[in-house]
Amino acid sequence: MSDFRDPELDDLMQGDPELLRIARMLASSKSPQAPLDDAFRARLRRQLMDQAWDTVEGKRPWWSGFMAPQRVAWVGAAAVLVIAATVVYTVTQPVAPSTTTFLQISSPLADQQDVASVQAIPVKFNVPMDHPSTEAAVQVTPATAVAFSWSGDQLLYVTPKSGDLAPNTQYQVTIGPGAKAQNGTANSKPQTLTFVTASTPTPSPSASPTPSPSTPATTLTGERQLTTDYPTSDVNYPVAWSADSRTVYFVGPSPRGLESVSLSDGSKNTIVPDGVSIPTASPVFNRLAYVRNGEIEILDLATGRTAQIATSVAPTALAWVRQQLYWGSALGIFRAGVGEQTRVLTLPDPNDSVVSIAPDGNHALLANGQALAILDLSTQATSNVGQAGDSFVAWSPDGTRLVLQSGIYDSTGHQVSGIPPGDVSWSRSNEILIGSDTGIFEQAADGSGYTELEQGTFRSPAWAPDGSTFVFVRGSSLWVATAPSAGKPSSGHELALQVVSDFMQARLKGQDQRAASFLDAKGQAAYATGSPALIPQGSPGLRRWYRVMSEVNPVDQSVRVVVRLIFASGGVERSSTEETLTLVRAQATDPYLIDNATAGPQLQFGKGPQVIFVKLSPAKVAVLFDSDLLPTSVGSVTLQDDQGKPVAAKVDYSDRIVTLSNLQLVPGAHYRLVVLPGLQDVGNHNVAAEYDVDFVGPSASDPIAAQQVQFPGGPAGRPTSGPFRTPSASAPPA
Amino acid sequence: MDSSRDEEKRLIERAKRDPREFGALYDRHFQQIYRFVYSRVREQTAAEDVTSEVFIKALRAMPRYQDTGRPFAAWLYQIAVNAIADRYRTLRPTHALEDFHDLSVGGPAIEEEAAQRDEIRRIWRLVEELPLQQRTALVLKFQEDMKIEDIAVAMGKTPGAVKLLIHRGVSRLREEAEELRPAE
Repeated sequence: MSDFRDPELDDLMQGDPELLRIARMLASSKSPQAPLDDAFRARLRRQLMDQAWDTVEGKRPWWSGFMAPQRVAWVGAAAVLVIAATVVYTVTQPVAPSTTTFLQISSPLADQQDVASVQAIPVKFNVPMDHPSTEAAVQVTPATAVAFSWSGDQLLYVTPKSGDLAPNTQYQVTIGPGAKAQNGTANSKPQTLTFVTASTPTPSPSASPTPSPSTPATTLTGERQLTTDYPTSDVNYPVAWSADSRTVYFVGPSPRGLESVSLSDGSKNTIVPDGVSIPTASPVFNRLAYVRNGEIEILDLATGRTAQIATSVAPTALAWVRQQLYWGSALGIFRAGVGEQTRVLTLPDPNDSVVSIAPDGNHALLANGQALAILDLSTQATSNVGQAGDSFVAWSPDGTRLVLQSGIYDSTGHQVSGIPPGDVSWSRSNEILIGSDTGIFEQAADGSGYTELEQGTFRSPAWAPDGSTFVFVRGSSLWVATAPSAGKPSSGHELALQVVSDFMQARLKGQDQRAASFLDAKGQAAYATGSPALIPQGSPGLRRWYRVMSEVNPVDQSVRVVVRLIFASGGVERSSTEETLTLVRAQATDPYLIDNATAGPQLQFGKGPQVIFVKLSPAKVAVLFDSDLLPTSVGSVTLQDDQGKPVAAKVDYSDRIVTLSNLQLVPGAHYRLVVLPGLQDVGNHNVAAEYDVDFVGPSASDPIAAQQVQFPGGPAGRPTSGPFRTPSASAPPA
Repeated sequence: MDSSRDEEKRLIERAKRDPREFGALYDRHFQQIYRFVYSRVREQTAAEDVTSEVFIKALRAMPRYQDTGRPFAAWLYQIAVNAIADRYRTLRPTHALEDFHDLSVGGPAIEEEAAQRDEIRRIWRLVEELPLQQRTALVLKFQEDMKIEDIAVAMGKTPGAVKLLIHRGVSRLREEAEELRPAE
């Protein structure tokens, strides 16, 4: 008996030696191979595959006919006859050259979703194949002109003659019934491989309303402690900077004097000995206002002289509007003039208090219990803003945007975007620092470029006037560091495409709330009808999407993006629909939101060539198809103006791309690309129905167009010399 | 997770998406299921019938198959156990056990080996007299070399219940063996 140990047995038998002995004896008797008829094994496999094929084809299950009671007797009799006939036939026939009964094919590309475009399609057979009949039986959908090469007799490479595969396309390679094995066995059922080629590239910047940071990068420089004499209480006022970004002013711990510290030599000075609150620097950083003993003092930083403004009630907020000081108190909002003070308004409600005044002097933030409201100083109208229990974080430097803990709002109280939690500093160049107990992050005001600069404690960051230096609080110390210079800002077109990408990913994942966060009120209304559906339901289900076309309207700077949604069931892509999304933003520091969405008709796959991508430039429109086309039919790709009249163009065709050139598209004018049903692929399939895409004449300054975005695998993306390359699959033999 | 399990998961996902991919799972598991079924029914035609039923049922149920982290084979065994139980609900196999179990244990001297072989034969004969649930649990554990968790899946029981079945079964074998043991 083998002396093996099985921990489970020890546990089961609870250490009883006699039980263990019996258990080990049972385990030591090996099961020999049961008598097996190989023909049964193969027959059962074939039966299973027939059933599987019928299921995929949507036929009735093979057994369903047998379930009818009245048929059982007939079926039984028929089965006996068939078996008898089979036995007689088998006995009387000479032995076949091969016992293989069922052709199988496989490929490393089978069922893959992100197959490289520059690719040969390897097809592996389970038996040696007859080359001519097998090649003749190969069908590729979408219609593609292909060449063949063999590695031995069981591995066939199917190579597109154009040199690559179309992007974003589901390919089906079928070995039809005509294929024969070398032993003469004919393929009884078509065998199909299915795979999907990789997507078109998308721009990289992130403009997500709730972004995820890019990879942490330790890119801060000059991080050092300025002073340990910083208050730890929860009443910390923002620091103030000198104009040269070399001196920081702050309110120290009790007795809360106004202190300064030099970044140059670390020297510290006490400017005002005690009782200081709300220090506020003027826009050109030459004067500093603060409240002391219930009155306002204004310190001239150059001369050190101080001026007082007497107030009967202690101010709760100070703000410099250009060179004029505003303040708010329980009596209202006031403005300082030369030797006088003017009440701008009284507060609408005696329970209101002024939290902050916008740097443009047009609005103020009021608190009333748990509620916040924006007060328009000219109309005295108020608008509720934020959520219950929200709190003020910052204003944008131009005063048009208000940052609360819950997000960024415009002056009407409408939320423009979300913002990650933390303390915020908004620079004049619209770069935002977000500090927290876990790290310091930087992003553009529109939400793009969200980057973690450093991990650690970075509370209350405050940009210096130079836009790169900032101070922050760590414990009871004030620190300084320099942020890396922001990269090249993304274009509006790129940002809009990123919003579309994030929006579509949320829909793919069924995240309805996140998807809705990319819609403005009109966008939400567009999806509220259910056509298009925000989260498509049912079968076939939404599997993936890709961008067919995008453009910036040079007139209003809105961005139109045509996306194609692909629906699949049973692992096979069945159909697609297109949506045209229009994205807008109120001002350049806002993120784009989807303002409108319209759905196009549903398209079935395998019904003729389809447009994959449309590239626009003022002089040229290029249209990429999924199929190789009959060059004589490409005149069916036409352009119309807004009156429906044809636009003269030179039409060229090469490798699935139809190019309309010699155009003089007027920026902002409306055009329509029309693909007529006369267009044929190399398999002589016509376009299933007329296909239209509307667009406006692009501007030459659009960076997306200016980049000359290449079709993936398009002419510029292909190797211009050397052998045909297969970067991600095994290479065909030379 | 080992690469074999990864490969199995991949095959399962493919078969769930497209039933035509079920062939790879069939190829992978046919032998062990057929052997198990044969060991229970001990007749080739019956084993073929039951094995066919197992795989046809599995193919039909593939879209609803949920990967619980247990081997796919455990699910096939479950179908097989049920199919065998349905077929032989009132019958007991009648073929001699020594016809099936390979008793060629290696190692000890010839006389000792012969005695051991006799005892194993006797024990397995006793296994066939056990109640169905105990018998199935013992066969899956000792003949099919399955883990308790996988047997639990195959039998639709908790691992604790399977442990109890095996412990009771082996205890019963000890009692029966004592009774059959000739006096020294």
